[in-house]
Amino acid sequence: MVKGNWALFEEDFWSINTILQNLIHTSSAKSVMLIDKTGQLISSIGEPPGFDVTSFASLSAADFAANQQLALMVGEADFATLVHQGANESLYLSMIANRVILVVLFDRKTSLGLVRLKARRSGEELLSVLNRLFDKLQYKNEELSGTTLGAEFAAEAESEIDSLFQD
Amino acid sequence: MSLINYSSREINCKIVYYGPGLCGKTTNLQHIYSRVPQETRGKMISLATEMDRTLFFDFLPLELGQIRGFRTRFHLYTVPGQVYYNASRKLILKGVDGIVFVADSQIDRFEANIESYMNMLDNLTEHDLNLEKIPFVMQYNKRDLPRVVPVDDLERELNPRKAPYFEAVALKGSGVFDTLKVACKLVLKTLG
Repeated sequence: MVKGNWALFEEDFWSINTILQNLIHTSSAKSVMLIDKTGQLISSIGEPPGFDVTSFASLSAADFAANQQLALMVGEADFATLVHQGANESLYLSMIANRVILVVLFDRKTSLGLVRLKARRSGEELLSVLNRLFDKLQYKNEELSGTTLGAEFAAEAESEIDSLFQD
Repeated sequence: MSLINYSSREINCKIVYYGPGLCGKTTNLQHIYSRVPQETRGKMISLATEMDRTLFFDFLPLELGQIRGFRTRFHLYTVPGQVYYNASRKLILKGVDGIVFVADSQIDRFEANIESYMNMLDNLTEHDLNLEKIPFVMQYNKRDLPRVVPVDDLERELNPRKAPYFEAVALKGSGVFDTLKVACKLVLKTLG
């Protein structure tokens, strides 16, 4: 990897999680997720959700992507945030650095206004962590490639694929 | 776009099944879902119409388990094949790590295959992606039907770059795992 895709390293992961923890605490949300815009879950903090988080991440990304296209159709560059309000549970989604989606799951213990306010602040903090990470990926590709997976990983993965994926 | 998380030690890769309407993309995923061990597969999501035609995508996460300390996952997606859902197809290709093109071998679907293949190239270009650089596997599906195009002809029209190909009958499962295995292995090679 690190060849134009992206990787998340220990220090960045913990910086991100600290921001997400803080967001949970200050907004009284139930849980917070950070999702790559292609639908891959980066981190999930807070009350463990009672649903399949992987599917949730994929659907959130699709939701955002579809809404972005709708925005273009009505002459907007994007819809930077989305809100889905239910009778009990609600979702606030916001795109950061045009690359990751911050999802806040909250219930009636808090309000959309508070969630929006705190999520916006956390979004700014996340932006600086992510920009640092993307710079690192962009400028240190060669250095980082030495630390990656290697031939043994590929060989082991191939044998796992052969044993799992069969009729 | 594969994502490697060195902290939680996870690797996620995205493979997209592309092809014309009713070629068998969803059937491929359904067969995989029905045959892999329960602990390997996640929940399969299908955003489909009431007539079971894919509206947005199908999604199936597969987990290889721990490979040298990394939880390795493949996320399989299908695109909606019908021509007028192109906006959705384009979105799903975003961040793709590998593509399986499912061609319908029937003679009367020959043009539809070509149209879908060209559409895939156009959509990749819009994402600044080039098929030459993406792990790609071709699957010639429905080989059990009576009026099918010879594989050589399909190869000539649809697979000029000579990517690996498999003949399949997805409804019965034949060729489905051969296709998936090669697609996954090609994707992993790009990570190494």
